[in-house]
Amino acid sequence: MKKGTARRALAATLALGVGLALTACGSSGSTGGGASVSGEDYDGPKVSISFWNGWTGGAAPVLVPKLIEKFNSEHDNIEVKNVPMEWADVNKKLPLAVKAGKGPDVAVAHGDDVATYAAQGLLLKADDIVKALGYSAEDFPEGLMDAGAYSGNQYGIPWSVTPLGLYVNNDVLKAAGIDPATVPSDKDAYMKALEALKAAGVQGEWVDGYVFTGTFEFQSLLWQFGGDLYNEDVSKATFNSDAGVQALTHMTDLIKDGYSPANVAQDGNIKGLLAGKTAYNWNGVWQTTNEGFNSIDWTVAPVPQIGTEKAVWSSSTHWMFLNNKGQDKNKTAAAATFVKWMNANSAGWAETGELPAANEVRNDPALVEKYPNLKPFLDQLPYAHYETSAPGITAANAFITTALNEAVTGKKDPKQALDDAAAKADEVLKQNKTKYGD
Amino acid sequence: MAGPNPAAPAVAVPPARRRSRVGKSGAPRRTGTAYLFLAPFLILFGIFVIAPAIFGLVISVTDWSPYKAEQAFIGLQNYIDLFTPGSITFGDFWQSMGATGIFTLLSVPVMLVVPLLLAVLLNNKIKGGTAFRAIFFAPYVLGVAVIGVVWRYVLDTQSGILNYLLGLVGLPSDLPWTVDVPWAWVSLVGVTVWWTLGFNAVILLAGLKGISADLYEAASLDGAGAIRKFFSVTLPGLRPVMLFVTTTTILASANMFGQSFILTKGGPGNATRTVIMYISDQGLAQSNMGAASAMSYILFAVLAIISVINFRLQRERAE
Repeated sequence: MKKGTARRALAATLALGVGLALTACGSSGSTGGGASVSGEDYDGPKVSISFWNGWTGGAAPVLVPKLIEKFNSEHDNIEVKNVPMEWADVNKKLPLAVKAGKGPDVAVAHGDDVATYAAQGLLLKADDIVKALGYSAEDFPEGLMDAGAYSGNQYGIPWSVTPLGLYVNNDVLKAAGIDPATVPSDKDAYMKALEALKAAGVQGEWVDGYVFTGTFEFQSLLWQFGGDLYNEDVSKATFNSDAGVQALTHMTDLIKDGYSPANVAQDGNIKGLLAGKTAYNWNGVWQTTNEGFNSIDWTVAPVPQIGTEKAVWSSSTHWMFLNNKGQDKNKTAAAATFVKWMNANSAGWAETGELPAANEVRNDPALVEKYPNLKPFLDQLPYAHYETSAPGITAANAFITTALNEAVTGKKDPKQALDDAAAKADEVLKQNKTKYGD
Repeated sequence: MAGPNPAAPAVAVPPARRRSRVGKSGAPRRTGTAYLFLAPFLILFGIFVIAPAIFGLVISVTDWSPYKAEQAFIGLQNYIDLFTPGSITFGDFWQSMGATGIFTLLSVPVMLVVPLLLAVLLNNKIKGGTAFRAIFFAPYVLGVAVIGVVWRYVLDTQSGILNYLLGLVGLPSDLPWTVDVPWAWVSLVGVTVWWTLGFNAVILLAGLKGISADLYEAASLDGAGAIRKFFSVTLPGLRPVMLFVTTTTILASANMFGQSFILTKGGPGNATRTVIMYISDQGLAQSNMGAASAMSYILFAVLAIISVINFRLQRERAE
């Protein structure tokens, strides 16, 4: 859907000339503050640009200042100011700050927020910047550029991806007499392993009903069964399709058949895995940095294929250029130089438990050599699905977790739970259309 | 946002108002001086409480979005939606009001009785009384995020220490403390009581200290026992303090947010999602500012009515 229009828009802007101000292709959303970006490094007068991000935990608070220091020392005419804050604060502060002309020149956001910001006119259309920096969809995992596009325009430039994987506690497998050398990759093998574990008195996968990570598992399964979250133009929820019911039923059956305990609390499963009480946990690549793993024998693998096709959930983060009131074109151009440099130097980002988005960086064998645990996640990217790019989509997504929670706690059967959630999501989607325009 | 916040109840002004009546008899100059001393507080109060409250009222009659340049006036539509079955907000709003009501009904009696008993115990000249007072008060100084995360470990269904201990004494060891009702309610009330009982206890203790020893002596001379003294001297003597404690506790319980947000995520389904959780989700996460403001004002109206009833009931007996 978006791919086609995005390509046409790209072609159109290309025809108009790369140096054209971004406003040329803009409508109501992005007015003013276009930038002339060239593929070369920014060579205008010295500017200071501010960069907002939500990197407050893990390795990032050490890593990011180092990267920025290096960038600043290599660029005499650009000074990047790092402004880290909680993701929720970025969300809250961005709209008013941008409208007042006090927002950042460049920021990083999660894939499911980009369209929301774009629809509110907070972002500059980045089609020209993408073009000028020489990026194309082929420079990133398939589908990732689209995850930062909205309504036919590119707003986000990919920075990182964080797919789900299957974490395995080998000690538990060995104790149950299962050879940990081969990790189950399809439904038969997976169910056989769970059955063997059950025979040994171990509940092999603990299913939870929360965003982390039950919702991610459900979405992976939904895609594996050939379903999707929403229809093409994101006007209707489709997660209550047969595929959705199959996916959710698989999860509730794990509980019903005793492969999972009932009533797993939030994070109960990763705690259980680390404590040697369960063998498998579907969790995100970010867990590779969890120090709890140091004390157990573990591996991580691609999530098994339960449905009819390979698929896995992944979230993503994207660079955005802000449409501040009176945005200085030079600053946006400098920000583009910064983004390109950061992506080119993103190998170290793996340290934070996220995968760099740029293929060039990710495909460098040195990355896997240094971070061998990332390999299964890299291997899954060709069939990873990213979050839906539509304004206000997180409000609709919230109902998926409610449905999941109701189903795994036995309040409703999977179909009923999903149907109820889809009906509510449809209302929110309708509301979003009027709220954000189309 | 959660826990008893003594600064919160805007409705708890009547005692102060009564006192200000006394001030009226003074010279105008003295009143001016008083206002001068009050000014620093009043300015902050005006900027951070009164002004936002009025602004909220304005927002509630618009389809406010922080991203639009102009906001459209839509009259009482946001309020009408909240009272129209089948509207996008109706079901979830009243369900969360119900959850808040359940929590308030369950928690307020416990948060009055337990601290009262505690205060009576601490009021006896027992060894280490000060230390106990500090111990009971200690959890109150912790933030809700801290107590939430700590209790999540304790209450985990499979790995939590509580279920482990229950198992040791032969009780069911798989109770879903944070995952399913009614256990989630027990956890939420229990954690909140543990967290905040010290605050109420300290206020009630101060009230107890204010009751004249002569009254107890007189009661003893009349042959009253400990129980009779508690009901005939202690409780009546505490009435003004009780009024304050009851009011702040009801308001704090009705404003519960953090405990549900962290411990149960509002689950199972949305059973423990409180109204503040829903309002903040609508207003801050989904930018439905108009609807969220209208909800806030309905909540405010409900709490104001409850507070007025509470005042009426307790004041009549107090005076």
